[in-house]
Amino acid sequence: MLRIKSLHLKDFGAFKGEQAFDLPSDEGVTVFYGENMRGKTTLLNAFRFALFGKIIGRGRRAVSFHDMINWEARADGARSFEVRLELSHAGADYRLTRTCRPKSGAGAPAGHSDYVADYYLERGGHILPAQQAAIELERILPEQIARFFLFDGELLQEYEDLLHGDTDMGPKISQAIERILGLPTLTKSRDTLKLALDKAEERVAVAAQGDQKTREFGNQLQSLVEEREVLTQDLFRHERDLEGLRAKKVAIEDDMRRRERMATLLDKRDRLAGEVGGLQKIISEKKDDIGKAMAPAWSAIIRPRLVVAVTAHRAREVELQSAVTRAQVLHSLAEGHEASCPTCLQTVPPEAQAKIRAMLPSGQGSTDEAQRELGGVRRRLDALEAQLAVSNPEALRLLWADLEAKRLEMYAKSAEIEEIEKQLTGDAEDELKGLRRDYDSIVRQIAALEEGIKATNEKLAGNANYRDNIQKRLDKLAGGQMDSERRRRDMASRLYELFKDSVDVYRDQLRHRVEADASRYFKLLTTEQDYAGLRINDSYGLMIVHRDGSDIPVRSAGAEHVVALSLVAALQNNAQLRGPIVIDSPFGRLDGGHRSRIVEVLPDMADQVVLLVYEEELPPARAREALKGRLRSEWALERQSARHTELVKR
Amino acid sequence: MAAEKTTDKKTIGVTSGNERILASLAAEGLFSTDIEAAKFAMAHAIDMDVKRGTTDGAGTKWNVGSFDSDGALKAVVEALYPEEGQPYRLVEHLINEGLKLFDKGSALPPDVAGTLFATKSA
Repeated sequence: MLRIKSLHLKDFGAFKGEQAFDLPSDEGVTVFYGENMRGKTTLLNAFRFALFGKIIGRGRRAVSFHDMINWEARADGARSFEVRLELSHAGADYRLTRTCRPKSGAGAPAGHSDYVADYYLERGGHILPAQQAAIELERILPEQIARFFLFDGELLQEYEDLLHGDTDMGPKISQAIERILGLPTLTKSRDTLKLALDKAEERVAVAAQGDQKTREFGNQLQSLVEEREVLTQDLFRHERDLEGLRAKKVAIEDDMRRRERMATLLDKRDRLAGEVGGLQKIISEKKDDIGKAMAPAWSAIIRPRLVVAVTAHRAREVELQSAVTRAQVLHSLAEGHEASCPTCLQTVPPEAQAKIRAMLPSGQGSTDEAQRELGGVRRRLDALEAQLAVSNPEALRLLWADLEAKRLEMYAKSAEIEEIEKQLTGDAEDELKGLRRDYDSIVRQIAALEEGIKATNEKLAGNANYRDNIQKRLDKLAGGQMDSERRRRDMASRLYELFKDSVDVYRDQLRHRVEADASRYFKLLTTEQDYAGLRINDSYGLMIVHRDGSDIPVRSAGAEHVVALSLVAALQNNAQLRGPIVIDSPFGRLDGGHRSRIVEVLPDMADQVVLLVYEEELPPARAREALKGRLRSEWALERQSARHTELVKR
Repeated sequence: MAAEKTTDKKTIGVTSGNERILASLAAEGLFSTDIEAAKFAMAHAIDMDVKRGTTDGAGTKWNVGSFDSDGALKAVVEALYPEEGQPYRLVEHLINEGLKLFDKGSALPPDVAGTLFATKSA
């Protein structure tokens, strides 16, 4: 059982000077109240720094040591900070002191790399040698499982990755879960037996090489054993590389998440740029269409005048045509070409013809003039009608309106791009592009490595089959001199198979136990009566189960939070290592009902619970009422200045 | 000079001041040729009720044969201005006046779309 006894701080973040608090030795909850920016997350980081030498900010990003020295103290000349943690574990008292100070000879420190963090560990008042201290520290609280003891409630959604097989975080958390549950004890034994089996097979091969009858098979077996060694080493190397790459991928994903807004802006800018390119193409095509349609545009402008002119010319044409026809008829009657009147069909007497002749203007001049004018009117009329036929102002207006609309759209998008570019600094864009390049590269490398691992595994399987085959032949041929080696191999093989199977059985049992405990906690924590419990998958992901037996496929952030807390509680219950829980922002986005239930259940999750909250999410009166005698102590993070917080016991 | 003005013109031109506007109008109006742009300027002047007249100082830019190969423009001008005896001289005048109307200074291009949208419907 790991128990925290006290924590001492010196110029660590907002905690100026030397400050300390003790945690009561009795089981129960200690609450630290602090408003935003007072140092609750810093306090969580103080534990993390003391134990692992790491300080983690929002989004799991490492915080520079340079920024962790209390600013006011630094202004007064301080150049270092220190955290001391007093613990008890397995009956021994420990004091862990970690100090961060500038590297010697680094000059004026300006960044994280200018600092070094050293620690020493005392057990029972005696300082342990460095190597032993590292081993003890790893035994007290391995970093890989620290996430279940020191955690930020706002990061609990990470456990959602356990439900999805396609993330890189999921397998990491699954490994950590198996570690806290103690599975490695069994898997290490299995791996040791595998090594013993491999060695026994090798001895069989060497023994077979010593006999004339079996030498050939012995040689083949030896070659296969050597090949297996090479393949196994390749596999280990590839798996180690893969793990490194997956860790890098997760880190880049975190980094990219932090730069999400920048990425959104970049994506938007690129999308807009693409749209502007498309619009430019459309505009160019529309310009071509307009270019073809603009030849008769001039007549479109004056179309109303053309229409008026056509009307006037038609009227004049009719007038002139009538005058010409009348003159032609009268001439014909006057000259006696016509015997009768074309209108009344009566014969025109000579006196009437003489009268008509007298009325007619002398000569052909006026008729010819009317004829000429009529010709001119018709020529102009033809031209006017031809122009009217080709002038289509409405079509032109539509073409231009369409072009203008597209131009406006393009200008609007271009203006938006300019606005976005004002918000993008050159560095941020380059960094993000670099991150994306790195991410793509890592994804490709991971895919290649996974392929390589698959191929190596196939080769190893082939190698095992071949070895098995040869072993069987050797067993038939070999005489008594190989019996002892064969027995050794058979024993190693049976033991290995036994432990291999036991890992699966134990893992299965652990999953059932975790599922049962998580379900129990979940039902205590949730206010939804229709939820019957949780169902675990192979990766320790937990699905909410409705009382009708069906899974709830989509869940809210609040539900994720409750499920994650249930998992952490269940892991604490089943862990080999029992210890304290220190939680920052334990309530996330949960409502009052859920908060009350969490407060009531927390003391059952671990013997020692430290809550870092602000008073609005957990008013002291409610904490006292809900926890009653299990509330062991209360502390306030009191503001002295923007850069100075004092720990004050209530 | 007076005798010259009694016969119609065989060529049509624009004043040097209007050359820039014609080029700008041809580009802005997406016209295939500057003849189309010139006709557009002429029509704008007609639409804006520019009075008849003549333009001095217009150089020789086009022969009337190439400017109005089928004589349709001449016929239209004669129809719209029945009292006009020298239609090509009037065409030249209207082109130059129309170009002046489009002149918004070198900073602003001629408003071709606006001219089309402002046209009264028949």
